[in-house]
Amino acid sequence: MAATAAQELTLGKARFLAIPLAVALAAILAVVLIPPERTPTISSAFPAGEIIVGVDASFPPFALDDGETIAGLDIDLAHALAAELNLPVRIRNIGFYALHDALLSGQVDILVSALRIDPARMDDLRYAGSYFDNGLVLVTAAEDPVSDIKSLANSRIAYEYASSAEGQVRAWEEEGQSIARRPYELPEYALDALQLGLADAAIVDATTLRLYLGARHDWTARYEYITHEPYAIAVRIDRVDAWKLVDGAVSALQENGELARILDKWL
Amino acid sequence: MIPTAKYRKRLLLLIALLSIAVALAWPRPAAEHVPLGEQQIVETEKPLVCVHTLLENEVQETKIKRSLQLTRELGASTIVQFFPWAYAEPAQGQYDWFHADRIIRHARRQGLRIIARLGLVPAWARPNQADTPTTLNFLPKDSFEDFARYAGAFAERYRDAIDAIIIWNEPNLSFEWGYRPVDPAAYVRLLRASYQRIKAANPDAQVLAGALAPTLEPTGSTAGLNEIDFLTEMYRAGAAAYFDALAIHTYGFRDPPAAEPAPERLNFRRAELLREIMIAQGDAEKPVLITESGWNDHPRWAAAVRPSQRSAYTIQAFKYAEANWLWLENLCIWALRYPADLLSYPDNFTLISADFSKKPIYFALQDYARGWERNENPWLPPPRKS
Repeated sequence: MAATAAQELTLGKARFLAIPLAVALAAILAVVLIPPERTPTISSAFPAGEIIVGVDASFPPFALDDGETIAGLDIDLAHALAAELNLPVRIRNIGFYALHDALLSGQVDILVSALRIDPARMDDLRYAGSYFDNGLVLVTAAEDPVSDIKSLANSRIAYEYASSAEGQVRAWEEEGQSIARRPYELPEYALDALQLGLADAAIVDATTLRLYLGARHDWTARYEYITHEPYAIAVRIDRVDAWKLVDGAVSALQENGELARILDKWL
Repeated sequence: MIPTAKYRKRLLLLIALLSIAVALAWPRPAAEHVPLGEQQIVETEKPLVCVHTLLENEVQETKIKRSLQLTRELGASTIVQFFPWAYAEPAQGQYDWFHADRIIRHARRQGLRIIARLGLVPAWARPNQADTPTTLNFLPKDSFEDFARYAGAFAERYRDAIDAIIIWNEPNLSFEWGYRPVDPAAYVRLLRASYQRIKAANPDAQVLAGALAPTLEPTGSTAGLNEIDFLTEMYRAGAAAYFDALAIHTYGFRDPPAAEPAPERLNFRRAELLREIMIAQGDAEKPVLITESGWNDHPRWAAAVRPSQRSAYTIQAFKYAEANWLWLENLCIWALRYPADLLSYPDNFTLISADFSKKPIYFALQDYARGWERNENPWLPPPRKS
């Protein structure tokens, strides 16, 4: 049945009023149902008054227990984080297989242990502060920059035999890229081959490249990330305050240059 | 109009019938059916070669079959496979053999012998979690007989398919003993109860004790007890009468396979130290099965070697064992494949990736097992200035 003009006017007014009413109702519900954003405090995040850090100290140069002390990039980062939060820090060396159990059972507050972000674990934990990307890098001589892999058609690419770099080279070949493979027994040999002009490019992980360049100040190279493996700090999923503070502290360390200093020290 | 009670009842009945109809008509995933295929045999020249598979958490039957096909093609005639008690007996006395059946069916069709490892405690056999949180490896002494019953039921069900059963895993590590101090005498009580049940179900089954983990932990450590002292304590507690073979784990870590063993060193030949204890205890007739072994080639892990070394050491280890360890029945590599990558160094123990791509170590071991000689290194010599 068709509405009369008067009915349409009434319905139009009703619609006109309904929208602001719905918005107002939603706003009231939001205020009532959604708790206000709380600023985390040190005492709410770390009630014990310290940060207990879990680390697998079998992973140089990130953490290594030499029988007397535990040292490495992750250890320095843990201390820097604690200093940023003005808290004492305690390091607990835990094997990889028990690392996540230790976090979930509350034996440690955070994990700083060269952990790659694992989506499969995100029901149980949050990652804060990605601090290093250990992905594969395509390295070329400084005077010979490479924009992408296509520009390396038929080039000689050096890599470590049976490493993830070899997997990348084989994947490119399966996509139709023509590559002259140069497998070496060690990743450093792949970089040596590039330096000596026996290869046009090399593929290694970012840690290997930084360590190699750190020991050879007379050689410069260009590199591009071709895969990404960010390392991040893990916090139990219900420790939201701790996660926020740690994430903020890592950002602060990035901004004030402390993180770069730690990376330069160890890599 | 206000509906009458009779009308409301009819309406409710109609809604219920419609709900049932919708539920029945709702599309659902069809049950996966993967044909077993023709009966296969393993072509191998090295019967020692064995791999540890990890199919207990593999959901897709196609992946179970593919894993076992690759095992056969590798030239490994035996697998070690974990069959968790918690999966098989989710409620006391109610067995669910669906997943175990599936694994065993496919393994047998590929012509593989199965060494079964039993463990992992169901919630009903552990303390109330609200009162006492425990891990899945926590087996209260009151539940030893329940575990033994499961072992017996397993042996009975698979008496035509499985003839070797390992009781528990690495009981000399506190992590594997439910985060409690390890207890060799308690383990022997568990072994005895399980042995009796298994033998009653299948007298021909081989009961394996262990499988002991390589560790240097001293007496009193909260992390565990070195396997040399643990085995000695097992014998002292009367274990000898309750196992037919010893299962041990021996990893090479950074040492080459021929490196001399020593109590204070973890390496491949550490197995010989355990063998000496067996001989000293008058148990020399019993065989040994190395149910976990291998090298890791992660680029950063402190106990890893390079991928080239991993391939070479693994083959050298098999050759060493074949030439020197006549008491060894199988040498099983940890591990064929993980269902999903762990994104850290454990991934570098596997022979194939989670996506089924074969690693060079797979090809090296295949060449050895199947007698395909390879004489040249697959890598170039170190670069030198010309």
